Amino acid sequence: MSEVTRILQSIEAGDNMAGGQLLPLVYEELRKLAASKMAHESPGQTLQPTALVHEAWLRLNANESEKWQGRAHFFGAAAEAMRRILIDNARRKRAARHGGGRPREDILEFDVAAPGPDDEILAVNDALGLLAELDKPKADLVKLHYFAGLTFEESADALGISVSTANRWWTFCRAWLFDQIRKNVIS
Amino acid sequence: MLSHMNDAASTDRQEALFNGALQLPEAQRAEYLKQAAGGDQALCERVTALLQAHGQSGAFLKETKTIVISPSPSPTEKAGDRIGRYKLLQIIGEGGCGVVYMAEQQEPVIRRVALKVIKLGMDTKAVVARFEAERQALAMMDHPNIAKVLDVGATETGRPFFVMELVRGIKITDYCDQNKLPTAERLELFILVCQAIQHAHQKGIIHRDIKPSNILVTLHDGVPVPKVIDFGIAKATQGRLTDQTLFTAFEQFIGTPAYMSPEQAEMSGLDIDTRCDVYALGVLLYELLTGQTPFDAHELVASGLDKMRQTIREREPDRPSTRLRTMINADLTATAERCRTDAPKLIHLLRGDIDWIVMKALEKDRTRRYEAASGLARDIQRYLRNEPVEARPPGGFYRFQKLVRRNKLAFAAVGAVLAALLLGLGASTFLLIQERKARNRADQAEKVQNTLRLQAERRSQLGEKVGLAALYVTQDKYEEAEHELDPVPISDLTNIVTTAFLFNVFVEKHARHGQWAQAIANLNKVITIVPNDFPAYPARALLFAQTDAKEAWQRDCEQMLRLFAETHDPVIATRIAEVSLILPSPDLDGPHTSKMVDIAMNADSPHKSWKDVYFIKALEEYRHGNFPDAVKWVQKVTPEKEHPNRNVAALTLLAMSQHRLGQVSEARATLSGATQTAGQTMATIEDGLGSEWGDWIITHLLMDEARQ
Repeated sequence: MSEVTRILQSIEAGDNMAGGQLLPLVYEELRKLAASKMAHESPGQTLQPTALVHEAWLRLNANESEKWQGRAHFFGAAAEAMRRILIDNARRKRAARHGGGRPREDILEFDVAAPGPDDEILAVNDALGLLAELDKPKADLVKLHYFAGLTFEESADALGISVSTANRWWTFCRAWLFDQIRKNVIS
Repeated sequence: MLSHMNDAASTDRQEALFNGALQLPEAQRAEYLKQAAGGDQALCERVTALLQAHGQSGAFLKETKTIVISPSPSPTEKAGDRIGRYKLLQIIGEGGCGVVYMAEQQEPVIRRVALKVIKLGMDTKAVVARFEAERQALAMMDHPNIAKVLDVGATETGRPFFVMELVRGIKITDYCDQNKLPTAERLELFILVCQAIQHAHQKGIIHRDIKPSNILVTLHDGVPVPKVIDFGIAKATQGRLTDQTLFTAFEQFIGTPAYMSPEQAEMSGLDIDTRCDVYALGVLLYELLTGQTPFDAHELVASGLDKMRQTIREREPDRPSTRLRTMINADLTATAERCRTDAPKLIHLLRGDIDWIVMKALEKDRTRRYEAASGLARDIQRYLRNEPVEARPPGGFYRFQKLVRRNKLAFAAVGAVLAALLLGLGASTFLLIQERKARNRADQAEKVQNTLRLQAERRSQLGEKVGLAALYVTQDKYEEAEHELDPVPISDLTNIVTTAFLFNVFVEKHARHGQWAQAIANLNKVITIVPNDFPAYPARALLFAQTDAKEAWQRDCEQMLRLFAETHDPVIATRIAEVSLILPSPDLDGPHTSKMVDIAMNADSPHKSWKDVYFIKALEEYRHGNFPDAVKWVQKVTPEKEHPNRNVAALTLLAMSQHRLGQVSEARATLSGATQTAGQTMATIEDGLGSEWGDWIITHLLMDEARQ
């Protein structure tokens, strides 16, 4: 049984500590996956977050005979990992742009297709931090949909809400984030 | 902080009211909120603010934009290498998918040229198609002020390249400043640039990245000749670019903010026409005249993306003469000196006609710009000839003033009646031309719009299909996923990573259930999309071997040995060696394959593949007829529980070697042991072969050979 499966099963069994162990593993898996894609396919190729998340799921899932129950947890961790990767990337690029040195060029550096321009990603991330303090489930939806590129159906599935609720939340979060970013810019 | 506390208590409440109000017509929302909030004034205001934000948020977070910034440039060729009859000297430029080298042509004449070749790994069909489009675009153009295409060809591995005239020159702005060109000479030079761009426009090509570093000035017999280079992001106005999203995004972000037209800054990506080049020409002219761009490049970049877009779209730049007046004295004097004049004269020179010409080219609303680069050039020529310029509304006094200045002598003799008549005629002719131009442009615009709309629709349909297929795959509905992508021509697929991934998933699915033909069909697609996808080749070769398609197997092996001849990766070498040796073939057990075996053998253990290595070495010795050595190596293979296929393969190879050594009874015993182990441990097609289907095929092929 793989480490990820074991953790997912612990989470299912109600072990709250297990959640914290999942993220680094998924994060590592995503990076490995992206690095191998970069190595074998096209240098300079941009990777779609959705494809990476799904592929990580498939890869880990393919090694197990039984179906995982932990899909929702996995997608949650994957969304968080994806967010970190995108934010790292955006910050790195911004630093490089402002003369903060050359970007590293090792094999682990790769470009994930960003959901928006760097500045937008960083601004959304800042505002999202605040939203997460106020209303974690809604912030989680933004992570799943915006950063990990999951559809509303998948996001709803991962969060255990209906698709129509996911749609309504998203509309609300868009306005909320837009409003907050506007405030951040002004202040 | 207080407002956050309020938020914390009630984001759910806010959300309910917010979405409730959104269902209603705008006029009824305030009343609804008042009632639904039940007197909670703060809540009511908060939701009203959110509704307002919703109304203003536009495309915020709505569409996914792809940003590509190539991380590690990896040109395959290096200085000193040869492509055809060209010797590469040094890299002089690099774009998203191509690298430009300075190269030396050796025959029939020795000369330096610029050679552009697709980067390794970028040679997907879509990119090749775009590269081809660029080459054709350049080849169509024949203009003394545009760098020429001299030759086209393909590298040994089939990557296309083209050879351009090597332009040795300096940036147009630097040339003007270093030679202290007066304003009039700067304008003359600029007219040539406009004419070159006009030529491109007539061939249906938009440059989209006009800036000083793309316009080099060289001297021909002492005469300065500007040359427009880098149509690298140029785009044919007709005909589609297969990977437009990526490309558009690429161009926008690598593109140059200071020269970006308002419609490019919109980043809608679809609605760009020749008038964005007119805008960039306006910026270039501004810079040639004042030494500065209308908006400071550093400020634009530092202000962040949104602010930058806003500035370009909304802020009116200073007129050139105003810009000069507001410069600090030292800068102004220096600028004037570079034009070989003094500050008051320079300001006086620019004020009036030149201000208007520049401002007309820089209009935010492109319908108010010059229709074409040629229009801009003509207006400057009019100015230089003291004729009335189009850029100024044809007021009676202005035109009269011009007429007088142009015909100082004649006017002394001509009566006022005649002058009035001339003016009247001029005005109506002008209006007629305006109307005809407007109509033509409208027709043209509509045509372009239609084409672009159809392309956009097609793209979004394709995107949906790929997305849907990916979704099916995550739900284990492989047949539906395959069905979804089946009717789409491969060349139309744009999202390389996702589609290649999906086809690979289909390969796995089929191969694990012994559906060899379907697995091969999907691998064909993978190889079409990503021609150098390594794992696809050995997989397909194995499948060919399994289906008795020996010629196809041999072809794939030869292709692999060629494509990866320079590899030092033991994993790749191991795979290539094992697949190439799996069937007896005098063509394949030669030195190329031996090299792969050596790479595998010399890999540092504990490498991932070191366990396979002895088996492969044994197989090589067997194919070479060195049966004692084959026995020696195969006996080093340690059986492993997790890899039943491998164990059986090793036993089988041992039996084959023993048989060749004349140890018939030992061979029989070993083979029956192998068969027995196979029956006990190996998976069957009926139950599914799992991820080890490749090993399963290898083992089966060997057992078939042993039985013979």
